[in-house]
Amino acid sequence: MFAYVVRRILATIPVMAVVALFVFSLLYIAPGDPAAVIAGDQATPEDVERIRASLGLDRPYLVRFGAWVWDIMRGDLGVSIFTNLPVSTMIQQRIEPTLSLMVVTLLLAVSVAVPLGVLAAWKVGTWVDNAVMSFAVLAFSVPVFVVGYLLAYIFALELDWLPVQGYTAFSQGFWPWLENLILPAIALGSVYIALIARITRATMLEVLQQDYIRTARAKGAGQRSILFLHALKNAAVPIVTVIGIGIALLIGGAVVTESVFAIPGLGRLTVDAILRRDYPVIQGVVLLFSFVYVLVNLAIDLLYTLFDPRIRY
Amino acid sequence: MALLEVENLQTHFRGADGVNRAVDGVSFEVNSGETVAIVGESGCGKSVTAMSILRLIPEPPGKIAGSIRFNGKDLLKLSDREMRDIRGNEISMIFQEPMTSLNPVLTVGRQIGETLRLHQGMNKQQAEARAVEMLKLVGIPEPERRVKEYPHQLSGGMRQRVMIAIALACNPKLLIADEPTTALDVTIQAQILDLMRDLKRTVGAAIVIITHDLGVVAEVAERVIVMYAGRKVEEAEVGRLFRNPRHPYTQGLLGSMPKLGSSLTGEETRLQEIPGLVPSLKKKLDGCVFASRCAYATDLCLKVAPGLEEKAEGHIAACHYALKESVAA
Repeated sequence: MFAYVVRRILATIPVMAVVALFVFSLLYIAPGDPAAVIAGDQATPEDVERIRASLGLDRPYLVRFGAWVWDIMRGDLGVSIFTNLPVSTMIQQRIEPTLSLMVVTLLLAVSVAVPLGVLAAWKVGTWVDNAVMSFAVLAFSVPVFVVGYLLAYIFALELDWLPVQGYTAFSQGFWPWLENLILPAIALGSVYIALIARITRATMLEVLQQDYIRTARAKGAGQRSILFLHALKNAAVPIVTVIGIGIALLIGGAVVTESVFAIPGLGRLTVDAILRRDYPVIQGVVLLFSFVYVLVNLAIDLLYTLFDPRIRY
Repeated sequence: MALLEVENLQTHFRGADGVNRAVDGVSFEVNSGETVAIVGESGCGKSVTAMSILRLIPEPPGKIAGSIRFNGKDLLKLSDREMRDIRGNEISMIFQEPMTSLNPVLTVGRQIGETLRLHQGMNKQQAEARAVEMLKLVGIPEPERRVKEYPHQLSGGMRQRVMIAIALACNPKLLIADEPTTALDVTIQAQILDLMRDLKRTVGAAIVIITHDLGVVAEVAERVIVMYAGRKVEEAEVGRLFRNPRHPYTQGLLGSMPKLGSSLTGEETRLQEIPGLVPSLKKKLDGCVFASRCAYATDLCLKVAPGLEEKAEGHIAACHYALKESVAA
C-alpha cells in the first residue's frame, strides 16, 4: 500500500512534465505579443524589442522552456508581467475563495446526487425516476452562467434570501462565508449533480440485479439497508471514479462561476491573466489545477480499497 | 396442522407478450422436521415456487395468488414489515450460486451477523461471537480468522457453507434450499448434503430442497414433489416414487439418470431422453401439460387435463393412465 502510494506519486512526475510542456507550448503558439501589450499604444518598435529582451522572450523555445521548468522546480512560478508580483503570491491570495467554492460544491453535489441516483434506481420506471432523469438532462443542457444568473435573480434579488455576489473569508465566520457560497455552489454543482446522479442510478440498477441483493432480501433486510449498505457499497467504485473525473468540471466551471458571482478566486485571476496575456500567471494557475486534478484522482484510487476489499495495491 | 401449507399457488409474470404462468395452481404441504424435494427440469417453476413462499418475487411484474400458510398464518396476507420478520428468521433460504450469493464487499462475519442483529436483537459483539460459532458448526476451519474474511477469499464449497450458516443462524423452522449443490464439485456436493442432513438433526428444521438432480433427492428427501410446466404432476414418498413412478414424466426423469458404471457392465449404454421441450407457459392448455412429449398420450390427454388422483396410498399423480404400474418397465 505504502509502496503503491510512493509509486503513484512518482508517476505523477511524467504526467506533470507533459502538462508543463503543453502549458508552455500553448502560450508560445497563441497569437498576441505580451511585449507589445506591456509597452502600450505609444511605444516604438525599439521599446517593444527592449521589453521582449528583458522578459527573455527573444531566446529560443527550448532554452525558455528549460529555464522555466528549472524555476518551477525551485518553487518559483515566475513574476507576473502585469503586477510584478510573484505568481505564487498571487495564487496564495486567491486560493481560498476557489478552494471554498469547490469544497462546498463537492459536498453539496455528492450529498444530493447520490441519494437522488439511489432513489431513481429503486423507483426505476416510475415518475420519481423520470423526474430525476429529466432534471439530470436539464442540468446537463443549461450552461453554468445561465443557472447562476437565474439563481441570483430569484434568490438574491427577488426573494432577498442570500447575497447577490461577493465573497467573505472563512475567518469572518462560518455563516457569512457559507451564505455567499450557496448560490455559486448550486450553479456550479448542477452539472456535477446530474453526472453523479446518472452514474449512481446506472450502477445501482446493475447491482440491484445481483444475487447477493436477493440474499439480503431473503435474510429479511429492510429496504434502506439493502439500498444503502448492500447495494451502494458495491456501486461505490464507479461512483467515486466519476466524482474524481468530475473535479475537472468543477475547475472549468469555477472560472465562469467566479465571474458571475464576482468571487475573487483563481478563476477570476485566470480570466484576467488571459485578457492581459500575463503568461507566467496563466502557466502557474494551469499547472496548479493540473496538479490538484492528478492528486485528487490518486486519492480516489486509494479510496477504492475502502469500498472494495478485492482491490489491493 | 402442517408447518407449511401451500394451496393453489399461482405465480404469474406479466410481460410485453402476455402472461407467463410460471407456477399454475400448485398445492403441497411440509410437516415440521420433514425434508421434501421438489424436482423437475429447468423452467418447470421449482425456483419460482420457492421464491414465492418467501415472497421474493418482484411485484410487478410478478403476481402471487393462492394461499401459503406457515404455522397457520397466510404469508400472502402479511405486510412487508411482518414478512421481513419471517425471512431469514423462521424461514430461510439457500441459493444455487454460492459464488455470487454473498455480498463481495462485506465480511463473512458481518453477513452472518446481519440476520442475528435483525431478528435476535443482538449487538455487534454478540453477533460476531455467534457468527464464529455458526462457522464452526458448518465445518469451516479456523472460524475466528474466516469470520473477518471476505467471500472472495473462500472457495465455492466454503461459501455455500457460509450461506448455510447464514440460513441457520436464527434456527429457522423451515429451510428452503434452491439447488444448493448444483454449482459445486461432486465431492463438495456430498459434503454439503451431509452437512445439511446433520444440521437438520441438530437444528430440527424442515427442509424444502429444490433440485433437478435425482441423486440428491434419493440422498436427502423423505417425500418428493415432481413439477412440470408450472404444475405438480406427481407426489410420493421417496422410495415409492423411485420404485414405482406413476407419471410418464417422472419415469422419463428417472430413465434419463445415468447409472454409475453401466457402460462397463454393458447392461444399458444409452440414456433415455424425454423428447421435446417444456411447452410455453404463456397460453392456457386444455389438455395434459405433458401430452406433447408423452409416449402414451391419447386424444383424451390432448382434450382433458388429468386431475391429481391418489393412485396408491400417499402417492398422487396427474395422469389418465398412471394406474398401470407396468408402464415403467
